[in-house]
Amino acid sequence: MPIVKYITTDQLLVWVNALIAAQTVYGVQAKEQRFAYDALADAADLRLDFDVTILPPKKFFQPLVETIMKFHVDGHYESVTSEEPFIIFGVHPYDVVAIAQMDEVFRANYADTHYLSRRERATIVACDIQNASPSMFAACMGTATVEDGFDILLTKIGDGYVVDVRTAKGEALLVALGDAPDADAGTLARREQFWDDARRFLNKYLLKCKPTDLPALLEDQYEHAIWEHNAGLCYSCGSCNMVCPTCYCFDVQDEVDWTLEKGTRVRKWDSCMLRDFATVAGGHNFRRRREERYRHRFYRKGQYLWQRMGQIACVGCGRCTTACTAKIANPVELYNTLMEG
Amino acid sequence: MTESTASQDIYLPMPATIEESKLLTAVDRFFRIRLSSGAELGHMPGQFVEVSVAGIGEAPISLSSSPDTTGVFELVVRKIGRVTDALHALPQGSPVGIRGPFGTTFPVAEALKGQDILVITGGIGLVPVRSAIQYMLNRREDYGEMAILYGTRTPADRLFTDEIEDWRARENVTYLETVDRGDEGWTGNVGVITTLLPKVEVSPVSTRVIICGPPIMYKFVIAALAARGIPLEHIYVSLERRMKCGVGKCGHCQINGYYTCLDGPVFNYAQLSDVPEAI
Amino acid sequence: MSKPRVAIFDFACCEGCQLQIVNMEEELLDLLTHIEPVEWREAMSESSERYDIAIIEGSITRQQDEERLKLIRSRAKVLIALGACATLGGVNKLANGFDDLNEVKKCVYGDAARMPHLLTGQVKAVSEVVPVDYSVHGCPINAEEFGYVIRCLLRGTTPVIPNFPVCVDCKMRESTCRFEYGEICLGPITRAGCGAPCPAAGMWCFGCRGYVDEPNINGARDVMERYRKTVDDLKSRMALFNTGQEQPHA
Repeated sequence: MPIVKYITTDQLLVWVNALIAAQTVYGVQAKEQRFAYDALADAADLRLDFDVTILPPKKFFQPLVETIMKFHVDGHYESVTSEEPFIIFGVHPYDVVAIAQMDEVFRANYADTHYLSRRERATIVACDIQNASPSMFAACMGTATVEDGFDILLTKIGDGYVVDVRTAKGEALLVALGDAPDADAGTLARREQFWDDARRFLNKYLLKCKPTDLPALLEDQYEHAIWEHNAGLCYSCGSCNMVCPTCYCFDVQDEVDWTLEKGTRVRKWDSCMLRDFATVAGGHNFRRRREERYRHRFYRKGQYLWQRMGQIACVGCGRCTTACTAKIANPVELYNTLMEG
Repeated sequence: MTESTASQDIYLPMPATIEESKLLTAVDRFFRIRLSSGAELGHMPGQFVEVSVAGIGEAPISLSSSPDTTGVFELVVRKIGRVTDALHALPQGSPVGIRGPFGTTFPVAEALKGQDILVITGGIGLVPVRSAIQYMLNRREDYGEMAILYGTRTPADRLFTDEIEDWRARENVTYLETVDRGDEGWTGNVGVITTLLPKVEVSPVSTRVIICGPPIMYKFVIAALAARGIPLEHIYVSLERRMKCGVGKCGHCQINGYYTCLDGPVFNYAQLSDVPEAI
Repeated sequence: MSKPRVAIFDFACCEGCQLQIVNMEEELLDLLTHIEPVEWREAMSESSERYDIAIIEGSITRQQDEERLKLIRSRAKVLIALGACATLGGVNKLANGFDDLNEVKKCVYGDAARMPHLLTGQVKAVSEVVPVDYSVHGCPINAEEFGYVIRCLLRGTTPVIPNFPVCVDCKMRESTCRFEYGEICLGPITRAGCGAPCPAAGMWCFGCRGYVDEPNINGARDVMERYRKTVDDLKSRMALFNTGQEQPHA
């Protein structure tokens, strides 16, 4: 039997504070003029009315800088994996979709224990979108609402939230909630209406084709003038990659401590837009030109990963569009331009 | 999400020891390496390993020995960056970390069997190709005609000069070589590798080609082969990219939609004809 | 193995980068287990002519400084340029943008401009006078990065210094882009590695770590128009730390 409760906003605050008292809870909070996930100290800091976070929740599964092993220069290596359970509170549907995609990436071929260990210890409390981000096109991408990939889904209806519990992990959190009534049929009907609206209206830009048309669209556009034109404005600063929920490239470096004998192997987020990304030892750069890197990113999103795993590697969050100082990262504008031929 | 954590860390190197290390040229060093576990590496020609020097980092290095060499495996490392500089400086007996083997193989046990073999290689491209050559020479009767073309910048850049003499001496192998610039003692060919091609017989039906060399080499060699009627699917190339993780995650070795570490480094050239970043 | 002898020399600068080293606290003790300082004006009174590693702070502004630097180079096996004044010429190089250095001096020092120790010529980065083996960027340097460079050196390997823009560090910190506040930020063309502390503290990037290789200056022009700024606005920002730097087109 699915568990679908309805709680007031006050109950939500009490519940979250109870969760915080028991374990690590990351939640969406205001940061300057925007929003970011950070450790929650008080439920009052939680902002479920957020539009989009600066960085996606991916940072909890693939940390920006992550120690993956310890070593001694005598050749001894020891794996380091995180075993700490945690809750992420307030994950929008498009990010839920992105997380499912990253799960696939890190599980495929060779399973990545560092990512999977964190992922399996996370409880995801998703939250339907109350405010659209300035550049979003989630409805176009089919990611404005989500059916699965979370443990609990919160939907704001009236003055309270529908709490839709889907997994045992989600159910475990309900203990801290205490008594709450089941959502009644009227509330659930209003939620259906809310979802219908989300699926129709959560767009600030309109993609003129179906997302699944993108691989075929890109088939013939490799030499399109837009690549060189936009790349002329591109800083190769990597901002679009850094904020993307479906980018996962990384670099790995060894760092020794002051013993000069012991140290850590660390992986850090990397970006295919950066100049030296495809440079091999000796200096040959296989993607030397700015437009090659710029084009690569859109092909990877719209075609390459589709070929590998049958998914478009863009969820319509609009983060790249907002993050790009040169204003050339908007996937909708780019793909629409290609459609014009 | 299902609970499916594999317990093995795909990034954790296996401890190993440098059993032998010797310079082949001014910048290329040969290593014979043994896994501390005593296990065989279990590779096939064309594959690579990730070699770790703790505290410096990790680099993808082609395997140069045939799987017939048991107990140990061989690498050749050009001194060209942080990790390879450090490897050159390590004395014999030093520990290194090994991950792998990774990547695709020259199809020596499948598609190449029973065919005429033409190996075209330049510079340190000989390193992975040597593994395939050794494998095929150990089973010489499994293949038809066999020719090896090798080009380097100068005579002093040639690797494995002892083995080259063995290939040259064999009656069942045609070995031809060329250098971009000769020296005082050089009496052989001078010129780019494609100048050797007219000197060997090729058949659009029975010849299978293995190519590995510097990036600039592929385009010219493949054009010359195509001009002689060799179908693209009879050509196998080994490509170099920055295979940082070796397991299809880090993104650095991508060639359009391919990951060099998973889908390569050995590709059938027909796979690459519509892949603009390949060569 | 005996510890390498290290000497730190200051030229035209505020000595703030040396201070960052002094401020390393516990790490300073770690550092001192591996090196033997033989000359370091800010931390000791001894001096020496015998050293393995010379660390140069400050820009080179006078002929006698050039001679002194060349002598240091001839004595040192390894030479490190420390901080923006040494690696770029730094703020001091602003003077090079003016035709008449005497006017600049008068403007800066007033009547004191005649004092002999304020004699100055065209300002140079250390690498414009002698070869530099390693650079520790920034104004001031990041002590963590300094420690990393020294450890690499002690291990006999080359440090990996970022060659990508500050935007990467800034996004990692989830700072709001300074352009959104209507400011001109040099982050998109400046070498990362600092951890983007300035934007996190509410300030634009001043470019103190120098440019990345192949900064997109053309792109920067377009962005100025988009944010209703002029190229001159941008140039005046760039002049603070990067006067005379090459501005290669992408």
